[in-house]
Amino acid sequence: MPRDAPALPSRHQRADGAFELGFAASSRGTVLRHLFQQAPLRVLFPDPEPGEPPTAALLNCAGGLAGGDALRQAVRLEAGAQATLCTAAAEKLYRSLGPETRIETRLTLGAGAVLEWLPQETILFDGARMARRMQAELAEGARLLAVEMLVFGRAAAGERMRAGSVFDSWRLRGPGGLLWADALALEAPGEQLTAPFGFGGAESMAMLLLAAPEAEAMRDLLREAGAAATLPRPGLLLARWLGGASTVRRAVGAAIAAVREGALGRPPRLPRLWTI
Amino acid sequence: MTAMTTTTITEGAALYRLLAWLSPAYPVGAYTYSHGLETAVEDGVVRDRASLLDYIRTVLLAGAGRVDGALLAAAWRGAVAGDDPALDEVAELAAAWRGSAELALETMAQGTAFTSVTQSAWPEARFAAFAARHPRNLAHPVAFGAAAGFGGLPLRPALTGWLAAFAANLVSAGVRLVPLGQTDGQIATAALHPIVEQATDAALAADLDRLGTAAPALDLFSMRHETQYTRLFRS
Repeated sequence: MPRDAPALPSRHQRADGAFELGFAASSRGTVLRHLFQQAPLRVLFPDPEPGEPPTAALLNCAGGLAGGDALRQAVRLEAGAQATLCTAAAEKLYRSLGPETRIETRLTLGAGAVLEWLPQETILFDGARMARRMQAELAEGARLLAVEMLVFGRAAAGERMRAGSVFDSWRLRGPGGLLWADALALEAPGEQLTAPFGFGGAESMAMLLLAAPEAEAMRDLLREAGAAATLPRPGLLLARWLGGASTVRRAVGAAIAAVREGALGRPPRLPRLWTI
Repeated sequence: MTAMTTTTITEGAALYRLLAWLSPAYPVGAYTYSHGLETAVEDGVVRDRASLLDYIRTVLLAGAGRVDGALLAAAWRGAVAGDDPALDEVAELAAAWRGSAELALETMAQGTAFTSVTQSAWPEARFAAFAARHPRNLAHPVAFGAAAGFGGLPLRPALTGWLAAFAANLVSAGVRLVPLGQTDGQIATAALHPIVEQATDAALAADLDRLGTAAPALDLFSMRHETQYTRLFRS
């Protein structure tokens, strides 16, 4: 379908945002080879600081996502390319009148590529309905550092998520097949978020995933810092946090800095647009 | 002619097989796993029958029970339909669904042991072919579900039985860890019946494409169990 086709008439204006980014290795380092963006998503390219690979920051110009909105995101790194992705701000999901907000992300890493996927937190307003799917595919020797954080309700305003739903799934594939699968399926947040052995009343949760040969050393490093960390399989580190939004955010920020230095040889700091 | 092959066995034969495969005497080593419970007891958050019941209820309805029940049902259906690609996809998904190193060990080691002893004691050609395609890489619910499907066992009793055995094993771990009296443990097991039925219904209705858990606290117990100072259990 041509991209300048007239929009279909609709009673409710639904956002259908998308971006595609392609990076490739060259004699000048990693270069951008492909860029497609569709409102309300925009991609910014802040000048990388010394020692940093090309950085892309996603910006949702609509300010947040409503029920029925959809985002499609794709990042492809050719063999040997390196890049960092982050978001310019926390993502907000508003209360839905029924339909889900759909977010589909595909990360494709060629041989030896290194990608950091470091979005800031997603804030789920009470009544939000999110269906998010992440599919990451790693070729031989590729390294991925990924972080995701959810806040259940506008914690800063004292709001807790009681209604709505969350489906948040991860599929990580390596050269030999599926390496890791996981999904959060929250259908009765009011009850499940307060259940002592469910979320224990936590207002937010976060996870960090590292696929790299340094996974075991980084597990020990994060454990020393007090995080719950494990190796679901050799070469794959998983750390999780559950607790107050600002506490979790600070802990995740510190973990990103430590792991990107220890496993990726990058400066021990957060991407520029991350603020703690 | 279709690929579907239905094995019919008598009700008595099905019950006999189910009791054997789910007995604590079936050598899969179930008694060595606490599914993070040992850490919850160490933390003092599981300290009596009521809190033990709450823990197991969450495991069954929002944790591994939710995922494993759905995977068991999918494996059973794949086996009964003779649909190898579907069966292989379930096996791959189950082997990758890993909340922690110890939870992965719990399901994969029991799956491997179940596969091995079942092939020796209850040989079945299609199950052997399935196992050969996934050497030492079948999660417990998938190995069990496939064996039940190939062996002609009906799905619902197989599911209820498997979930009941999972629950009873956690009760047994709780009896040893809290500690509780043997009778208290059986009172807990009796109280879990409606939860096991509810978990069975959820597994029968589950869509693998929308499957997930809602109990990160359980994953955290399991992760922290890896560094717990004194441990009786492997998970």
